[in-house]
Amino acid sequence: MKNKEISPMNILMLFPGVGFILLFIGSSIFLTLVQSFGLFSITGISEFTLENWKAILQTKESIDSLLFSLKMGLLSSVGTVVVAFPIALFFRKGGTGKGIMGSIIKVPLFIPALVAAFLILNLISYHGLVNTVLLRLNLIDESLRMLNDKFGWGVVFIQIWKNLPFVLLIVMASLASIRDDTIDAAKNLGAGYWSILFRIYVPLAIPGILVSMILMFIKAFGDFPIASVAGPIYPASMAGRMHIMATIYQEWDQAAVLGVIIIVTAFIVIWAYSRLAEFVKGEV
Amino acid sequence: MSKLIIKNLTKKFNEVLAVDNLSLEVSDGEFVTLLGPSGCGKTTTLRAIAGFCYPDEGEIFFGDRIMNNVPPNKRNTAMCFQSYALFPHMSVWDNICFGLKMQKISRQEQKKRISRVMGMLGIEGLEKRKPGQLSGGQQQRVALARAIVTEPQVLLFDEPLSNLDAKLRVQVRIEIREMQKRLGITTLYVTHDQDEALAISDRIVVMNSGHVEQLGDPYTIYRNPRTSFVAGFIGLANIYQGNIIAKNGNRYTLETSFGKVTILSEGQKIPKTNKTVKFIWRPEEMKIYTKGAPNRIKGKILQAVFMGNITDIFIDVQGNKIRAQIDEPAKINAGDVIEFSIPEDAFSILRG
Repeated sequence: MKNKEISPMNILMLFPGVGFILLFIGSSIFLTLVQSFGLFSITGISEFTLENWKAILQTKESIDSLLFSLKMGLLSSVGTVVVAFPIALFFRKGGTGKGIMGSIIKVPLFIPALVAAFLILNLISYHGLVNTVLLRLNLIDESLRMLNDKFGWGVVFIQIWKNLPFVLLIVMASLASIRDDTIDAAKNLGAGYWSILFRIYVPLAIPGILVSMILMFIKAFGDFPIASVAGPIYPASMAGRMHIMATIYQEWDQAAVLGVIIIVTAFIVIWAYSRLAEFVKGEV
Repeated sequence: MSKLIIKNLTKKFNEVLAVDNLSLEVSDGEFVTLLGPSGCGKTTTLRAIAGFCYPDEGEIFFGDRIMNNVPPNKRNTAMCFQSYALFPHMSVWDNICFGLKMQKISRQEQKKRISRVMGMLGIEGLEKRKPGQLSGGQQQRVALARAIVTEPQVLLFDEPLSNLDAKLRVQVRIEIREMQKRLGITTLYVTHDQDEALAISDRIVVMNSGHVEQLGDPYTIYRNPRTSFVAGFIGLANIYQGNIIAKNGNRYTLETSFGKVTILSEGQKIPKTNKTVKFIWRPEEMKIYTKGAPNRIKGKILQAVFMGNITDIFIDVQGNKIRAQIDEPAKINAGDVIEFSIPEDAFSILRG
């Protein structure tokens, strides 16, 4: 639609959607940002200061939380896509059991993250099902620490399980847009399975893969419930650290600084995605 | 380059018989077209040759080598698809180079071959463009270049011109034919366009419901169709029945619903007298009657459409609707009563 065709009625019709975002999300972001600089503070004081930023950036706990959340975001996004891609390929080709598998895979979509974390906790805890089975089979001498482990593998595992169906839907849509003729042409020209996978499927599914990774990264980076239940004792995730700063130390403005870091990271990732998408798409 | 032999090929999809006991031999360097309506099994045959589907029965040979269980990437065929099937994320150069990379051809040889085929097809200068930046004709040429650059044993075309406009279709089909002749690649071409098939092929296989109706060179297929299906599918046809009432040398007289006609048989197998047969003749064979011309028929013009080079006419002859296409300058109007003649050698007796 050309600019000259936008009437006041058009703007009015956009208002319920765009207005809601601007009013509630925009105002929340704005308040978080200004509170991180001491303005409109929840304590009632409103005075510009950089002390909150200094306090956060000079604290080892906060830096460790940032690095931990970055690590969780990165591993969860890569891990989910790596697990989802072969399943999406299977669904693209079809085959027996596709319907049942499709239903089973969608289950995590309907389970809240906190419940999912507790479900998986039963499986991978120190005395959980996985360890019990491995011990009984004499495959291990001592239970493995898969939950609350220092690295955060438990968090990554639950993130992948929880978000797999969501990522699967996006990757499947990307793969569905690849024409069968294109694959046949590659086979006809001598391409084997791996050549087709890496030269045709992956490059053509890149837009979907990138979208999945960015959404997964943002979800895992800002995650609170899964890291709280299955994450290490130290460091806390960024959201966990925010919670501690706000409710235990009552440092709401410093919590706002952490919030701003999460928001800025999300924007940086989105910007990087758009640049990467442009690069992948090439000149048109 | 290689001889292509198909022996008793049968392919079913669930209970639907797509190809029914099809046998065909395509000689080295020959251009054969599979022609037929949608669902006749021509594309399935092509896909079986390419290895995209496996035959339920029968055998496919390239030369002496049986190909039934050879995967598509090991068959050394090259296929031009209806949709072109260019890789949208690759440049023209990379598209053409794809098959060469798969064959692990040296970079120097790749460059040499790609430059040669791009020159041959007139697509130099498009190397860096993506398929989305090309016109339909250019995409088709790139698809063709990608196919021939690998120097395949068998070249396969699956309705490659159906997405082009009429003018470009004619131009590209000439280019395909010239290129195929120059390279001498054994070629199997699938189309439902009879003009395309007649113009481009050494031989045509007319298919219907999974089986071969007739196999022959374009002239024979057009002039002497063997069945009503072939007669009706290729070109326009007047198809009638008649009883053979007399034989005089290689001339036969038939009693028909619009009068007696005399047929001159040249190498055609004609049944004995007192047999009812189906026969056809093409509307363009009919002439305005001149003194002494054979097979004189008189009728009332039902409809006459002037089309520039010809006039397309429907004539009522004793209750039979006969079509004629006359290229004579006389102005013909609906309602006129006119006498026509049909040359004796214009007829063809049908077997089924």
